[in-house]
Formats: sequence, C-alpha cells, structure tokens
Amino acid sequence: MKLAPASIPYRAFQKATSLGITLVFIASIGAGIRIGSPTFLLLAAGILVATVVYEIAYYKRFAYELTDDTFDIRSGVFSRREREIPYGRIQNVDISRNVLERLVGLSAVNIETAGGGSTEAVIQYVSAFEGKRLQQDIRRYKHGKSTDPEGAAGEQSDRRADEEVLFEIAPSELALSGILSFDPRVPGLILAVATGSIPFISPIVPVDAPPLVLLALFTVLLVGGVLLAWIVGAISAVVNYWGFRLTRSNDELRYERGLLQRYSGTIPFDKIQAMTIKDNPLKRRAGYATLAVETAGYAPGQASGRGSEAAVPIASLERVEQLADEIAPYEQPTFKQPPKRIRRRYLARYLIALGAVTAVLYGLAAWFATTASVPWYLPVIAALATPIAAHYKWVHRGYSLGDDHLLTRNGFWSRETKLVAYYRIQTVIDTRTIFQRRWSVATVIADTAGSLSLLGTDAAAVDIDQRDAERLRTELADRLRTALADRRRQRAGGFEWLDEDGSEDESPAELVDSQTADRPAPDERNGDATVDDVSTGERADGRAAADHRAENADGEHGDTEQQNTEHANNEQEADNEPDQKNTNQERVNQERDDQERRGTQSDDQERSDGRDSGRDDGPESAN
Amino acid sequence: MNKLHPRIRIVWVLRAIVIGLVVGAVGVGLATVLEASPFVPAGFAGVLIVLGVIHAILRYRNWRYIVGEDAIYLERGVLTEIRTEVPLVRIQHVDSRRSAFERLVGLASTVVYTAGSRGADVMIPGLTPENADGLRKRLKTLVIDTDGEDAV
Repeated sequence: MKLAPASIPYRAFQKATSLGITLVFIASIGAGIRIGSPTFLLLAAGILVATVVYEIAYYKRFAYELTDDTFDIRSGVFSRREREIPYGRIQNVDISRNVLERLVGLSAVNIETAGGGSTEAVIQYVSAFEGKRLQQDIRRYKHGKSTDPEGAAGEQSDRRADEEVLFEIAPSELALSGILSFDPRVPGLILAVATGSIPFISPIVPVDAPPLVLLALFTVLLVGGVLLAWIVGAISAVVNYWGFRLTRSNDELRYERGLLQRYSGTIPFDKIQAMTIKDNPLKRRAGYATLAVETAGYAPGQASGRGSEAAVPIASLERVEQLADEIAPYEQPTFKQPPKRIRRRYLARYLIALGAVTAVLYGLAAWFATTASVPWYLPVIAALATPIAAHYKWVHRGYSLGDDHLLTRNGFWSRETKLVAYYRIQTVIDTRTIFQRRWSVATVIADTAGSLSLLGTDAAAVDIDQRDAERLRTELADRLRTALADRRRQRAGGFEWLDEDGSEDESPAELVDSQTADRPAPDERNGDATVDDVSTGERADGRAAADHRAENADGEHGDTEQQNTEHANNEQEADNEPDQKNTNQERVNQERDDQERRGTQSDDQERSDGRDSGRDDGPESAN
Repeated sequence: MNKLHPRIRIVWVLRAIVIGLVVGAVGVGLATVLEASPFVPAGFAGVLIVLGVIHAILRYRNWRYIVGEDAIYLERGVLTEIRTEVPLVRIQHVDSRRSAFERLVGLASTVVYTAGSRGADVMIPGLTPENADGLRKRLKTLVIDTDGEDAV
C-alpha cells in the first residue's frame, strides 16, 4: 500500500520551507548571495524542484503491507530499506496530526516496539481514514485475525459500541490542570539566563541604589519568573490535554488528546509495564492527582520531557485510583516507611544544598556588588523549612508489597506512587552508596522495561534498612517467578477450562500440584544458601499466597466466561481463537514435559550450585 | 559465590594507567601551550592513577557473582555497592566479548541483555575465554528452556 498522494506536496512543502529558511539565513549573513538576486532566486527554484522530485520518488518507493505475521515497510530513495516488524513485537501504534495535517486530512502513524529509544517505523503521511484503519488492522492481526475489507466498517461501529469511556476531561479539569501544572524547569531556565546575563545587566542596575530598591527589584524579578513559569506550564498543559479522552475496549486502552497537534494511540493491556500516580501539595489539597501509564515502547513526546502520553492529566484522587484499579486491579497499599533515623540524613542534605546556594549567592554578591547591599543571606531563611521538608520526604517514602504489585512512593514536593506488577519486573537492583552504608540503609530498584525509566524513575524503595533490602530483593525475585508461573498456568489453563466444563476444579489443582512438585529448587536453595530464617518463612508464605491466588484466578475464570469484561487480557486470546485450543493444549503438555525435564536437570545442577553458594554465602550472611 | 579471575586486576589497572596518562598528556600539553607549570597536571594525573589502581583492587575484591538455577546474582561496586538479580526468564540475549586489554591477559567478558532500561548494565568481566563461552552457552540453554513469551 502507498502513502496518501497528498503527502507529496505536503512533505515537499515541509522540506522546502526548512531548506528555504536555511537559504535565507545563509544569504542574510552575507555569503555572497543577496536576497532577491538572480542567483538567490535560481537556488530557491532549484531547491523547490529538487524537493518535489525527491518527494515524488519517495512516494513511489514507499510501500507498506500487512502480511499474515509481519508489518512490512519498503522505503528509501537513495539507500533502500526493507523492514519487517512482527506484530507480536509492536507495543503501540500512535497517530499524530498537527493543525496543518488536519486541514489537508493527513495523519502520521508511528509504530513503537520495545527496546531502543526511537520509533521503529514512521509512516508520513497517510489519509486520516487509512491511519485509523492501520491502527485497527495491526491490532487485529496481532490477535491472529485476518481482515476482510467489507467487514472493517461494520466492525468499526461494533468496536465503538463495546468501547467503554474511562475518562473524558471536563473543561473545569482542563483548566485546573493548567492552573496546577507549574513547570519547574522554567524558573531554572530563567535563572540560568539571568546568571548568564549578569555581566550585561550589572552596568544598568543602579548598584549604589539603596538596598531596599535592590530588594524590590529582586522580588519583582523572582515573582515575574514564577508567574511566567506558571503561565507557560498552564498553556502547555491545556494545549497538550485539550479534548483528552481515554477509552478501553476489551484488551487495550485508547487515548486521544491535543489541541494543535492531535495525538491518538492504543496501549494493549498486556504491554502496560507500570503506572504512576503523581500529586503535589497543591493537587493533594484540592484532592486531585495525575495518572501515567508506561509501556515498553518509546513514549511519543518523551523528547519534550512530558513523559508518557497516556496519562490522565488530572482527576479527583478517587477517580484516579478507581481508574488505576480498573486497568490493573490492586489492593489498598500499606506503605512501609524507611527507618526514622534517615530523616536526619535528609535534613543534612537540604541544609548542605541551602548552604551551597547561599555560598554561591555570597560569591556573586561579593563579585558584582558590595556584600552589604545584596541580601545574599535570604536562602538561610528557608533553613527553617528544612526540618518540615525532611520529615515529609520521610513520610512520603515507602514501599508496599501487594498481592500482585509492588508499590513504591517517593518525593517530598511532587509525590509519585509507582505501581509495578511482579511479572513485569526485569531485574532487581539493590544499591548502597557510601553515604547510605553509613546509615546502614539501601535502595532497592525494580527495573521494568518501561520507557520512563530512562529518566531514572524506576520503582524504587529508597533508603530502607539493609536487612529489609536484602529481604525485599529476594522476595521480589521470588514473587516474579511465582507470578510468571501463575501467568503461564493461566495462559495454558484458561483454555483447558473452556474445554471441559464439568471438571473445572480438577485441572487447575492438578496443575498447581505439578507446578510446586516440579519446583523443588528454591526450597533447596533456601536451605543451602543460609539466608536467615525469616526470609525462608516469608517465602513459604509467598508460595501459599500464590496458590491462593491461583484459586482466586480459578473463580475469576468462571466469571469471565459469562461477563467477558473484567481483566480479560489473557483469556481474551482464548475467546478470539477458539480454533487454536488444540495447539494450546499441546503447549500445556509440552510445558509439563519441559518442567519435568528441567526438574531433573536442575537437580544435578542444584547440587553443585548449592554447594557453591553454601560455602560462599557464609561471609555474606554475616554482613 | 564466584570471584572474578585475578588477572582482571591487570586489565583494570592498565586501564586506569592509560586514562591517567592520557589526562596527564593533555594537561601537560595544555600547560606548555599556556606556559604554565606542567607539574600541576602531571601531579593530577599521578593522583588519578593511584586512585584508579586502588579502585581497581577494591573493585576486584568486591566483585562476586553466581549463576543460579533461575537467576544470575551479581555483587559489585566500590563507592556504591550494587547487587543485581537478573531472572533468567528475562534474558534477551547474551554476548561474550573481549576487549584489547582483556585479550592481552587472556580474559573475556559475558554481557547479559534484558529488556529493562538498565539491561546492558549486567556484565560479568574477568572470565577465562572458555568460561565465558561456557557461561554463554549455559545461559543460552537455560534461556531457551524458559518461556520466551515472558521476556518483556
């Protein structure tokens, strides 16, 4: 399939404009070409022709195709590229349209896969209808269905019907999100500019003016900066989240948003890596919060620093929690806080930072004016607030181990609660800086494949006691394993139950038994590895909880058969592919075989490994 | 738990010395151009080398790893101690690689990639080439055994 023909003039226009601006720039700095001279006009005409020819060639070369199991793109004028993206690897498909594109009816489609910081495929541009169709077809292919051209329209209206609106931003909420979104980067920027321009400003500033005038000037500047930051934040929030709408169909979330540039995208439930609930004292006061959903793909607009776009910009806390619960059912957390002693550390940290700021201000004051006339000591007043800040930093910090999720909470001003499903954890990292060791605390990070993690905001239990950290680390790794096993069993087991209606209760129980019987390894390792007794006990509990969960899941399956709505991510496949039951059955069998094989294999391995760890873990547990 | 091969210290010490020498050369070069005393950058480079050597030794002392039945566990770090647990199900692919210094002393590294944002962090240096290859192959079989669908 080809791009929309209208994309030729549009792309040519885009390219020619940027090249034209470059040309004007070169001409204006006087590189021998004057604006309006014959050479200039000739060059401009040449650029125009070249871009049009190039774009026609680009259009001719560019082809994409939906095959049975890959999305193929062939492109390139000078160097050709053929790319096949398996449907299973596609994380999300986004459509963006700016004002101009909406005017001429074009859409840009971005296809994201996991890993890598860039978009896997960019299709610029197709018609708006084609964009929507692509989005839907890719989704459908992912579930192994072929498309029938005539059924597409009918299906679309069907889909509209079973699409459930989760969230639609109200004008008041949009306004509120504007008011409450104070962009802290702007004052920083202003400060940087201001400090950079001090040498230029200082001659203008009446240095010998009375200190009161200087103080007034300073205050005006400060207030102006904060106000500006606020306005910029408000405008960008309103533009970004204009007409925000979040809907869910059976197995994915869809969002639409944007005033100048319209974005829409889908997030399959089974690609969601983590969720973040954010608030700050202002929002908390008003009872509002923000929700962000992370996938493993590159979040569009991440470059602009706004993070995941599938975020609910603002809603009442109740609604946010309800939404999060709907996307991934979780239970009310009870946060475990870091030890109290850590507050002193935060206090010291804030005081040191304040001291540094004061010292810099003093230095500047001494350099540019007399120290007497500039109130360089102002930040010291803020020291009065540091104990409160330190206390709240400690209050907000914590982690909670739920049935299926790890929740962590951090931040003194802007508080973030992260929600990560155990089966989404990639690696568990436990770090102790030299300062943390002094307080015998540690940070445990649950790394996921989320895209926001690139900014260093993984779910982290910061500054917890070292013994807790040790336990949390092993516990997380353990829960990850049981959660994965659970999921695998659900995937495999779900189909079985659909097959044999009468004996629903037997097969899962049997599966659970075989599962635990086949996994002797962790217990043995616990025995050998001489981790303290507490954690072994906890692990046994975890196992029990896991079994309990499996039973619950059993009940759920019964429900989903009738209702077919709630958390049906995995079971969904079963509904979509009734003809694949047999292969799934085979998979179950194979998996059992695998497990048996692994069981015997790991026995041998365990013996040697166990001895190893038994010997070497000694000094570690003494720590 | 396993320690790294002792010879890895040579690699790290060499690396520290090379970095120190480069910094020193640049510094001394700048100093002569600017007609300043070359002793300051030279001394700085010397301190850098000493610190680097101490760091390398401590780093070796703190490095430990174990490849368990269902996870790799690493312990390392001098100023910041890092303990990483990588479940084998999460491994995307495994490399073994040998840098120039490593080839010099006959060692190799194994790098384990996950889909996590810090995935490429997991590198086990200081293995004999046979061990690195063995580890890679063993991880490969373990990874194939586990369900590929769970990788992301």
